Amino acid sequence: MKLADIEARFYGLVTARDSVAVTVAEGGREVRQAVEQMVAGDARLPAIARLEIYADMYFARLRDVLADEYAQTAAALGGAAFHALVVDYLDACRPDHPSMREVGARFPAFLAGHPTGAQRPWLAELARLERARLEMVDGADAETLTLEALRTLPPERFATLSLRLVPSHALFVTWFDLVSLWRSEQPGAAAPAPSPTALLVWRRELEVFHRAVDGEEADWLRRLASANTTFAELCGGLGRGRSDQAAAARAFELVGRWASDGLLRADA
Amino acid sequence: MEGFAALGQGLGLRPPFYEAAATGAAVAAVDWWEVISENFMGEGGNPRRVLRAARAHRPIVLHGVSMSLGSTDPLDTRYLDRLAALAAEIEPAWISDHLCWSSLGGHRAHDLWPLPFTEEALAHVAARVVRVQERLGRRILVENVSSYLTYRHSTMSEPEFLTALAERADCGLLLDVNNVFVSAHNHGFDAVAFLDAVPRERVGQFHLAGHETLPTHLRDTHDHPVCDGVWDLYRHAVARFGDVATLLERDDHIPPLDELCAELRHAGEIARASRGSADQK
Repeated sequence: MKLADIEARFYGLVTARDSVAVTVAEGGREVRQAVEQMVAGDARLPAIARLEIYADMYFARLRDVLADEYAQTAAALGGAAFHALVVDYLDACRPDHPSMREVGARFPAFLAGHPTGAQRPWLAELARLERARLEMVDGADAETLTLEALRTLPPERFATLSLRLVPSHALFVTWFDLVSLWRSEQPGAAAPAPSPTALLVWRRELEVFHRAVDGEEADWLRRLASANTTFAELCGGLGRGRSDQAAAARAFELVGRWASDGLLRADA
Repeated sequence: MEGFAALGQGLGLRPPFYEAAATGAAVAAVDWWEVISENFMGEGGNPRRVLRAARAHRPIVLHGVSMSLGSTDPLDTRYLDRLAALAAEIEPAWISDHLCWSSLGGHRAHDLWPLPFTEEALAHVAARVVRVQERLGRRILVENVSSYLTYRHSTMSEPEFLTALAERADCGLLLDVNNVFVSAHNHGFDAVAFLDAVPRERVGQFHLAGHETLPTHLRDTHDHPVCDGVWDLYRHAVARFGDVATLLERDDHIPPLDELCAELRHAGEIARASRGSADQK
């Protein structure tokens, strides 16, 4: 038997949706004979039992990774439902990246299209938030513009101050109130209220945060994420429907908040 | 082994020890750290910060779990590029991975699956180790894994396979003493005879760890202290292979650092006693 054939047979049995025993039984006598011709068994551990050890470890390791990464989603679903969901997920979305961190990368999208997600659509949004927070943990570093640096900036330099977001951030819209749900001690006890929200996730130094942002701030954050924007351009954009004084006040408010949050690059 | 220094007793760097490793404080018993390469391939954040800081205090070894040396899939060159980039930044004492396969058809198992010990598998793995070493610009260590099955197609023993691999690919061996103990129990072979069949000059590092005892087999879990049987086998390994860098792995039920340091000191005492005994001969 060639190496490629051995690996294909082993992989098919160990990663099957069902146990090795069930998969072999469904395959009939031919599959059983092939397994016994491939794997040496004994009275203590027959061939199928030895393969079962690998099948159990394969599933348990990946399930544990997902349970850690999606702890809130798992808690909201409950152990048995989460387990069943993971079985479906691993069947549909086999890990394809060398890092364990990527095992759950497709989980939020999968959940959104799964019957469980269709019944409780806020679950996929919760999973998306958990994934976004995880991705921030080891995202790219950047030196940030501090509030202190802003305070010491000469007034004449403000107009040309260049603003750009740090790389470790994500901004997306959710249809439910995830901020309240996240704070809940029992995330699955009640469905969150429908409340379309732009949600910002980012890392400041080593800590990951998220908060809701209003539509105006979300628009500017998207712009600052894709291109440098000067403080003067920000004031000009905020001036629509506002007096110059009110626009400047709003610009100072936003920039101060972003600097305080560690969202602005120092080298923009 | 040339190119693999006797670094002393090291510990697997896991999140509970990040701050101790980064500051270098309270880790006198830890001569070096081994990290799981894939956990430090992110662009930034705490893992990279810790690794850079730890490197300032102690030597670092990169130990991978995803090279999939035995897979019939093509070698993952993007993975190797990332590993090479990490090595260029961290300048590890060396790089290691496992004698196993863990991917097929582009899918990743995140496990360490056993190979048949055949001439075909040997030629396949040796050629891949050569390519990996060329890409990384250095010799690597290849580790024996714990296993729960053997293939009827095997035509050689595991130590015969490891020996032939090391010679053909001109690589070193990372001898996991716990894995030898676990596999010996699960397959009914003699663990001491296994060690005696491995060439002295090829072993560049030892692993020590704990395992779980189940009614039908031993399971390599890294969640228990090193047991007496593994310490005895380690004593034999040190007597046979001499002053080789030793690494303690603990991945689950991680106790306070002091407890693991006590195990490291015990490993050091065994190594020193063996050296003293060799000097008297």
